[in-house]
Amino acid sequence: MTRSMQVLTDPLRVGRLLAAVALVLLLAFPLLTDDAYYQNMVILSLVFAVGASGLNIITGFAGYVSLGQGAFIGLGGYTIGALATRFESVSPWLWVPVAGVVAAAVAVLLGLVSLRSRGPAFVIITVAFLFLVQVVAINWVSVTNGTAGLTLPLPSWDREIINLPFYYALLAILVIQLLMTWWIRRTKLGMGLIAIREDETKAATIGINLPVEKIIAFAASSVFVGMAGAVYGYYLTFIDPRGMFSILISVQIILSLLIGGKATLWGPVLGAFLIEPLNEIANNSFGGGNMRLFLFGGLLMAVVIFMPKGVLPAVESLLHRRRTAGKAGLVGARIGPGGSLTSLTERAGRAEPVSRGPGAAPLLEVAGLTKHFGGLKAVDGCSLTVPEGSITGLIGPNGSGKTTVFNLIDHTIRADSGDVTFAGERIERLPSWERAHRGIGRTFQITRLFGEMTVLENVVAPQRSFSWQQLGRIAVSGPEADRAEELLEFVGMRAFRDQRAHALSYGQQKLVELAQILMLDPRLILLDEPAGGINPVLVERMGEMIRELNSFGTTFLIVEHNMPFVLALCDPIYVLARGATMASGTPSQIRTDPAVIDAYLGDDFQLEQEAAT
Amino acid sequence: MTQLIQNLILGLLLSGVYALVAGGLTLIFGVMRVINIAHGAFLILAAFITYSLWSALGIDPLLGILVTTPVIFAIGWVTYKTVAAPLRTAPMASTVLLTFGLALVLEAVMGTIWGNNSTAIRPGYGDESFTVAGLFLPKAQVYGGLVAVLVLLALGLILTRTWLGRAIRATSVNPDGAALVGIKVTAVAALVFALGIAAAGAGGAIVGVLYPFVPGAHYQWIARLLAIVVLGGMGSMRGAVLGALIFGVGETLTSAYVSPSWATAVPYAIVFVVLLIRPQGLLGTRLRADAVAA
Repeated sequence: MTRSMQVLTDPLRVGRLLAAVALVLLLAFPLLTDDAYYQNMVILSLVFAVGASGLNIITGFAGYVSLGQGAFIGLGGYTIGALATRFESVSPWLWVPVAGVVAAAVAVLLGLVSLRSRGPAFVIITVAFLFLVQVVAINWVSVTNGTAGLTLPLPSWDREIINLPFYYALLAILVIQLLMTWWIRRTKLGMGLIAIREDETKAATIGINLPVEKIIAFAASSVFVGMAGAVYGYYLTFIDPRGMFSILISVQIILSLLIGGKATLWGPVLGAFLIEPLNEIANNSFGGGNMRLFLFGGLLMAVVIFMPKGVLPAVESLLHRRRTAGKAGLVGARIGPGGSLTSLTERAGRAEPVSRGPGAAPLLEVAGLTKHFGGLKAVDGCSLTVPEGSITGLIGPNGSGKTTVFNLIDHTIRADSGDVTFAGERIERLPSWERAHRGIGRTFQITRLFGEMTVLENVVAPQRSFSWQQLGRIAVSGPEADRAEELLEFVGMRAFRDQRAHALSYGQQKLVELAQILMLDPRLILLDEPAGGINPVLVERMGEMIRELNSFGTTFLIVEHNMPFVLALCDPIYVLARGATMASGTPSQIRTDPAVIDAYLGDDFQLEQEAAT
Repeated sequence: MTQLIQNLILGLLLSGVYALVAGGLTLIFGVMRVINIAHGAFLILAAFITYSLWSALGIDPLLGILVTTPVIFAIGWVTYKTVAAPLRTAPMASTVLLTFGLALVLEAVMGTIWGNNSTAIRPGYGDESFTVAGLFLPKAQVYGGLVAVLVLLALGLILTRTWLGRAIRATSVNPDGAALVGIKVTAVAALVFALGIAAAGAGGAIVGVLYPFVPGAHYQWIARLLAIVVLGGMGSMRGAVLGALIFGVGETLTSAYVSPSWATAVPYAIVFVVLLIRPQGLLGTRLRADAVAA
């Protein structure tokens, strides 16, 4: 492949070139034509581009599908309408930023009340929200003038250039909106939002403060949309509840986002400029009304069924395939030999090696932990103590409640009762992310990486503590990324850093998940079957890594069925049966405990052990 | 007092219609985990078909249910096969978008065929009333409510007394398990989708007699239906009936004694509040959510 061909198929270069051309065209557009029809079309496209780009933050990044986005355009329009008709001596432009603040404030309110609902319930809430706002606009006559609507003062400038100020104001808002989207995508905040989209429960366990991140996303997704709505209202000079809060505006916004491509920077803009002309044609050439419904309804169905990813991602993956054609895929590559942690620790600034053992002070204490699912007692008064610096094992038959104990310790599910004490602090009332901030890291039995994120992004996603500055920190390059690469080197997965996580094998995912939680600098790591489902060489490597991390002071609590692995690694060991701890002790005590052999190990286990010695 | 009793009876009769239509919506959700936003559109479609049967052929609208319902059932089955089948594995938020798109298309189809003007079905008994003990009960509402309860009972019998009903309930609890014991899950899903939509169809024929309608009325209907289903707990038949009782009586009393201009907001407010405070509904129970992931 020649160099020029490579330039042509590099998505980044092609994208930048196209974006530059598009920007120049947009800047020059009003000077090229004074046809009001086309000017109107482009102005509306800009409004929808801002709307869709805002929606992208909450829907594309955070994964919350909203059919209420049009409400923020309407709120912006009503803000400028209500204020401009009241204070006629002031320029209406002054109210544009105010409209942004109003929209963001209402969005935060919506975000606050809908923190507990996900998926389809959230979509329905957003529709209900849109209709409620419309009902308020109809009935709050003193402010909105009801169904009669509001007429704004006519623009004061020369009729020759009547559309230009609206046009350039919208273009400026779109540029700011896109800069914000671009910035968010590269920060810890953006990683957190995408993590929420991919797996919200898991996101909480790696320290992501769900309510704060979602509220920020709600505000960010609406502030510029409210401003664009204000400019749009001023441009129309007449606003009424049916027009401003029509569900079809929301439909057009979400269509623009879906067709262009969710979670991409330019997709929503592309989509908006594709859909609005179609909308105009349906309105002007086919009599609007039913034709518009056919267009929007049909497109919505077609996009969901045939093109769930949208145009831009489809083109991108096509270019990618062209570029990598004939080159060996990395997914089949070998896992690296793994780096030494000693070299890592100097740079990462870890503590000196410490040796603490079973006799040390308890790091984690669980007492009387209970969880019932209906009539099933999954965990029934489980108590255990993990000494600081130990590698503690937790074994027991299938269904004895081991994973549920993990879920209760990191609050993936809520305990019915019981105390959890970590480093001397009671934590049973804390949410998952606060527990992660205190130093609890946890892997899952079936790995739960964020499939659509790259390996590197998965490892930079965790948040060690909560601070507003940290949310704004760039995650995909700089010190955060360097650290993540070191950890990937340690687990031997550095060569895979740009692969999407869902393309990895199960064993590879286990290694990446370990690197991911190491990013939390955990004092205690909960491993759920680290040796399950992976080949013997990897099991051995896993054991080495656990020992090495432990030699630097990290405490472990391990659930595992591979008995030689547990007996060689863990001390003390707890045995769980029917949701309660039935025995505990050193490996040799457990191995010979008649009750444990009866409940879990079985007679032949003892025979094998004797034969081996 | 008489006024109140009369309103209560009318509310109960209305609840019967709501229960029937919401039952269809919750049935589809229970088996397929699809929130069919087009449910209200199918209801209005049935009202228009009933209207055409009545105005062109003179078929009594309530007897016409015997024709309308199978027609809507067939439309539902075809819709499932062409549009909804791929949804069984799609994320639920996209199924909401898809059925919303379907609702828009149906609205456009109805607007094209029947026009966007208000349409009403006025059979001979449309203006007559029963007068019982000083109560004044319009015949259309009494017949409509009773027919709705009859159809709902028939649906209930299908679900509890037949092999198909057991297959449907098994599939709704655990599709994989149902497939393992020899239930053809895709066929059951198609039947359920069609049955649920047929329930909307039967309800639509009755609604057409009770109120004038336009294609765009489906928004109002889906809002009511979602409020009812969400109240009772999504996927629960008994919950839908309970939700319909509360909503139907509540709505009748609200429009009689409170300002009707805010009455349109009631269903949206219910959806909003219930999903926030008790997402599982009144009768729903929270299921163990972690076992799926583990």
